Amino acid sequence: MRHTRIAYLLLVALAIVSASITHANERARPISATEFRAILDKERGKVIVLNLWATWCVPCLREVPDLITVANELQGAGVTLIGVAVDDPSPGAAQVESFRKKYFPSFRTFARQGSEIDELASVIDPAWNEVVPTTYIIDRQGKVTKRIQGKRSAEEFRALIKKSL
Amino acid sequence: MRTAITMPFVVALSFVTSAIFAQPVAISPEGQKAGAPDVAINANGQLAILWVDRSPQDNASAGHDHNHDRHLSTADLYVAISPDGGKTFNAPVKVNSAEGVVWGQQLSRPRIVGTSNGTWHVSYAANDIHPTLKKTLLTTHYTRSVDGGASFEKPQRLSGITGQDMSEVIHGGFASAAAFGTMTAAPDGGVHVYWVDTRHMNPDSDSAALYGISSRDDGKTFTSEKQLIDTGVCPCCQLTAITTENSDVLIGSRRVEKDSFRPATVMKLSNISGAASERRSIGGAPWQIGGCPLKPTVIATHGQKVFAAVHNGGETTPGVIFSVSNDAGNSFEFRGIVHTAAAVSDAPSVAVNDEKVLLAWHAKVGNAPRRVFYRFYSLSGKPIGDITELGSAAGVSQYPIVTVKKDGDFQIVWQQADKVWTTEIAGK
Repeated sequence: MRHTRIAYLLLVALAIVSASITHANERARPISATEFRAILDKERGKVIVLNLWATWCVPCLREVPDLITVANELQGAGVTLIGVAVDDPSPGAAQVESFRKKYFPSFRTFARQGSEIDELASVIDPAWNEVVPTTYIIDRQGKVTKRIQGKRSAEEFRALIKKSL
Repeated sequence: MRTAITMPFVVALSFVTSAIFAQPVAISPEGQKAGAPDVAINANGQLAILWVDRSPQDNASAGHDHNHDRHLSTADLYVAISPDGGKTFNAPVKVNSAEGVVWGQQLSRPRIVGTSNGTWHVSYAANDIHPTLKKTLLTTHYTRSVDGGASFEKPQRLSGITGQDMSEVIHGGFASAAAFGTMTAAPDGGVHVYWVDTRHMNPDSDSAALYGISSRDDGKTFTSEKQLIDTGVCPCCQLTAITTENSDVLIGSRRVEKDSFRPATVMKLSNISGAASERRSIGGAPWQIGGCPLKPTVIATHGQKVFAAVHNGGETTPGVIFSVSNDAGNSFEFRGIVHTAAAVSDAPSVAVNDEKVLLAWHAKVGNAPRRVFYRFYSLSGKPIGDITELGSAAGVSQYPIVTVKKDGDFQIVWQQADKVWTTEIAGK
């Protein structure tokens, strides 16, 4: 029984690590609100840290490395980080991808494809007030438990995310 | 609250010739991806609507990349002039010379102002390449039309370029950025352009500088740029500027304070001495945010009165707040949240005639998409009538800008479904 449980835990850990590896270096790409909803649904069961950012937002660019660090630390506890760039659409999200690739290659991020800045943010927060960075902590049931606006430190993120585990 | 006005709708104009209309009309032509509009009136009563067209982006993706060496922007600027205060509009004219260099969107919108002799002035942020570093820059550009908007002069760069390379501070986006700017024209003929500048940004802060430059000959030449505030300016909150009757300049900006507080403020630049006042907070709940609030502080003035509005994320329900100054901007009385029934309200614009103030904004009410609303206020700042939803086509309508015309009526422009729309709002 004990061996079975260990094997199960190993399998879960392996699955999480595999999923993480799959998403590492994933190209930023433009997606629709429907596709975004599907992506979030697929992650149900994990604690999702969803970060709204923009390439022109200096505080955003400063906090992303901290978010990546904390998400990696808590990966084993089922935490996953997803970025949404609210930049104006560029062909193939080229602008966003060039930033991601150069500065945060392990940052799994998506970009909006339509003209509305809140196209993807509205999927989880219809009342988003177009402030970046905005970070949401979404629990394992898919419910937003925390909306954080403004740049936070790794310590602050760590504490806030742990509350949702 | 009054319910939505349903008005008959007019299809987009073809722009072959001028056309007369009285209802909301799409000013930007079919095929453009238009947004981030601005509107201005000149002393002759002519009206100008300026917008950003992002369709060059589509051309780039289709293999017609005319901006391959400046790959951070792919937009152009257009203006449509109405010779009769908004009744008819001439065919749109492209403003920028180099293709697709404009860096503009709703949150850093290009500006247009008109002066007494009919000149139209346009300022905007554009991509440049640093001459020695060979890195991308954002610089503030200016152009003017001296033939009533039929053509625009070759744009000139107003912001300086130094040897500073801040690309690592701002993570490689730009070696420096002079953007999020504004422009105003004073009764004495002065044309003033201001922008937020990151050239000396401290790597450990989220705090930029405010620069300005002026012309005393209707935009033919400009003074040297001047650093008006060396630090403490939100690096990604667009500035606003208006002039008073005696040609002082009022600038709306967001101040970066200790512990990440970001109050919306108004400062005065003396026309005589050039001295800058302190930045006065317009009030509201303190907003603590170490980020990019992205919210301009919009202002209008009438005599000693200054009317200010801004989105304030510090309120219990974040939304547009309204404040009034009775002493030319030295202090402000906070009048509260404008649209309490909205889940969120944002993007205010304000204008004033001799009788009342018009405040417009966009908001989400219930499950409805974002829509444009407006309300009148007396010159003492008291609401007149109810909040009104602007009559426009179904769907998302957003980013309104209002201006007052010579006859006291108001003109409003807004963005809807990749088009820029306009109509008149009676002001009397």
